[in-house]
Amino acid sequence: MLDYVSFLQNLSNGLLIGGVYALIGVGLTLVFGVMKTINFAHGDFVILGMYCAVLLNTLFGWDPYLTLLVAMPLGFLTGAILQRLVLSRLVEAPPESSLLVTLGLALVIGNILLLTFGAEPQSVHVAYASSTLSLGEISLSVILLLAGLATLIVITALYAILNHTELGRSIRATADNRLGAELVGINTRWIEAVVFGIGMALAVTAGVVLIPLLFATPTFSGAIFTLKAFVVTVLGGLGNIGAAIAGGLLLGVVEVLGASYLTSDYRDAYGLLVFLLVLLLRPEGLFGKTVKRV
Amino acid sequence: MNRHYLILSGLVVLGILYPQAFPGYLSVAITLLLFAGWATAWDILGGWAGQVSLGHASFVGLGGYFVAVGASQYGIAPWWAVAMALVAAAVLAYLWGRLTFKLTGPYFTLSTIAIAEILRLVAINEGWLTGGATGVFIMSLPEPFGLDLFARQTNYYLALAFAALTVLTVIAMSRNKFGYQLRAVREDEDSAMASGINPTTVKLKAFMLSGALTALGGGIYAIFLSFLEPHVIFYLLLSVQIALTAIIGGRGTIWGPCVGALLVVGSGEVFRTTFAEANMLIYGLLIMLVVMFLPRGIVGEPARYLIRRAYAKRAQS
Repeated sequence: MLDYVSFLQNLSNGLLIGGVYALIGVGLTLVFGVMKTINFAHGDFVILGMYCAVLLNTLFGWDPYLTLLVAMPLGFLTGAILQRLVLSRLVEAPPESSLLVTLGLALVIGNILLLTFGAEPQSVHVAYASSTLSLGEISLSVILLLAGLATLIVITALYAILNHTELGRSIRATADNRLGAELVGINTRWIEAVVFGIGMALAVTAGVVLIPLLFATPTFSGAIFTLKAFVVTVLGGLGNIGAAIAGGLLLGVVEVLGASYLTSDYRDAYGLLVFLLVLLLRPEGLFGKTVKRV
Repeated sequence: MNRHYLILSGLVVLGILYPQAFPGYLSVAITLLLFAGWATAWDILGGWAGQVSLGHASFVGLGGYFVAVGASQYGIAPWWAVAMALVAAAVLAYLWGRLTFKLTGPYFTLSTIAIAEILRLVAINEGWLTGGATGVFIMSLPEPFGLDLFARQTNYYLALAFAALTVLTVIAMSRNKFGYQLRAVREDEDSAMASGINPTTVKLKAFMLSGALTALGGGIYAIFLSFLEPHVIFYLLLSVQIALTAIIGGRGTIWGPCVGALLVVGSGEVFRTTFAEANMLIYGLLIMLVVMFLPRGIVGEPARYLIRRAYAKRAQS
């Protein structure tokens, strides 16, 4: 009976962590769907969100969730500006250019953070850090629950925007067929800036939500989050939002279950292994539509 | 005779004289030469064959660990260890390529990161093989012909020989059939197939050559450091450094990776005190500038201009 309880415990932890992974992955997959850009700086945007929360906490003593009010709009604006200044110049360039430029951006962000904040890990301590909620025999950490809740709200809002507004319709049209979207009068360059802004805002949100749980380090963790985001999106099939959410939840569960039932030394490897297998066996993603290749 | 051979022999002569002129700056020169060699080796796959890999640190690690573990645990002389590492690297590259070459473009790049990360986790966790996360010390090495392998000067000449060998390989390759096959595959796999080239075989050969040369550099690097940590030598950032060095200089050019190494290691040295441990900032800024303004790299862009002008002149006359 005890096993059953601990399994449920691990499962719920995995799902809650997976929710945050999903939040990170959705931003990456949205950007890929519209711009066909693989954004290597995505993980560093997450770290940027973490440091935003750390900074506002040390300066004004703000709760991380209050920081979201500043961090989300700021992330959106920065993303849109970055897209206009850097990525929009690369439309004519060879396909790997955008990958390389975002890789450069990742290095620049990580190292500027390193110069500003120093190398030692930083975090925000909140009063509710160690409190838990009991649900029968399962105890859920309040921080994880809040993170899951925030993820749910943000993703629902994104879903509403994409499916029930004119802007969302334009975004979906651009992702579907760029030329067609332009023919019906959608300013696709403007849409790209907006989408990159949304992607960055989502990443920053994930960072803020994670900061009570994790330590922020400037250079190393960015690459880890980028990798996790890739794993999530490739699990689901690049460019597919619903699948990215499923991919995120799956990654969270696989990591937590793998770490507690197999060996925790390889925690990060389980996701990568699944990622490789999916990439090799089902490049269209676990939940993607199968396209017959010639 | 190709003029590239002349340039290379001139550079090697300068390189042999360098320790006499600047005996105090050997470590920088070793780093520069190793990066020039690694970037040139990376370029065989990344530039000439057009498969951007972000996993080459695995080969550096492989070469390094064969030498370090061989010397510290089994008493194997480094030259035999390097020879085994070359074979192991070629085998690893073969299996790796077999597995992932059906992926193209960015998907291939992502898969190289994933495999390299898994190999890094294996190196950290399998302590019986690699000394684990704490690393391996090379305590003693044999002294062939009374030569102290730990001496900076010896390290320097080894690195010089390594860089020269990789460049020599690429010069020879650029004019032979294999080099043309690689470029054909890079430009268009279907057309290459139509002219009787098997793209997978050609890419596999390029990967094996590139991986083996990188492992050779890794072995020399291990002797230079005499202390290996899996966190450092297998790390994604080293793969990124190697790839970016070649791309900044110019992919698919003979001298591009060397110029890239000169620029990156040189500016890293100039800004050492300003940026301290944030030295990757230079890579980030340079790669952004290069991709935005010189998409073919610092050597590639002017070279293309010269070639086009030569064609234009020929067409006019």
